[in-house]
Amino acid sequence: MNVAETILVFAGAPLAVIAVLALLIFLPAARNRRPRYKPGQPWEHAPVWYEPHPEHAPESGHGETLAIGSSMYGERHGEDASGHGSTGHGSAGHGSAAHGATSVGATAPRPVTAGPLGGARGTW
Amino acid sequence: MTRALEVDSHDTSTAHTDAARTDDGGEQLFSFQELARLDEALTMSSRETGLRFTLYIGDLGTPTRVRAEELHSMSGRNPAEAVLIAVSPGQRVVEVVTGSAAARRLPDRACALAVLSMTGSFASGDLVGGVINGLRQLSDQAGHPSGLRRH
Repeated sequence: MNVAETILVFAGAPLAVIAVLALLIFLPAARNRRPRYKPGQPWEHAPVWYEPHPEHAPESGHGETLAIGSSMYGERHGEDASGHGSTGHGSAGHGSAAHGATSVGATAPRPVTAGPLGGARGTW
Repeated sequence: MTRALEVDSHDTSTAHTDAARTDDGGEQLFSFQELARLDEALTMSSRETGLRFTLYIGDLGTPTRVRAEELHSMSGRNPAEAVLIAVSPGQRVVEVVTGSAAARRLPDRACALAVLSMTGSFASGDLVGGVINGLRQLSDQAGHPSGLRRH
């Protein structure tokens, strides 16, 4: 075994293994890189409003539902959505960001007063 | 007569449907895994407690409390039982608004505790994790009313 072969086996092979592992680890993360929120950055996304699934949702594929899985697209329902026992205000706002099907637009109709409100507030 | 190829995407929306998702660009706020976690947390805490938890993420304007209460009043058919978690990452503010019926089961002190744990996660940049932890605390505090038990 001459010098070149020695270097190839004892330095080249470990390096090759390391390179393959590094590729496997870092390539997927680099490919789907989404902007991560960091405190102090401005927030330039459209507002989204997520709501829970209705308890007695129709099965997927049947009837009108906003559930994830029933449709790949955030469907916008018209005036008739409120009568279907689904989410009540499915008529999403214009250009509502369809992040997942449970998001509804921030422009829901007719505010209802809910008596004395409680809650809390926090900053970070 | 030849025409240039139309390369612009067509607006596929109708009166009843949104545009196809492929039309609105690849920029997504959360990954599908994060969305699924949010979705499950919202749905399960709402079912467990009988309250209606909703989550708003976006700018709240000033004053934030007024806008959050306005959103809460629009958050469903029965806002008295609704709980709104409004997060404004740009302003670094989180507001929890409870309706009058929800406030009996979720006192302000419990909300403040949940807000505290949320702000801890938000400060380290983990929006989804903070929201899910907050939802967990809120639903633990609100408990499971006996009227919801089916057996």
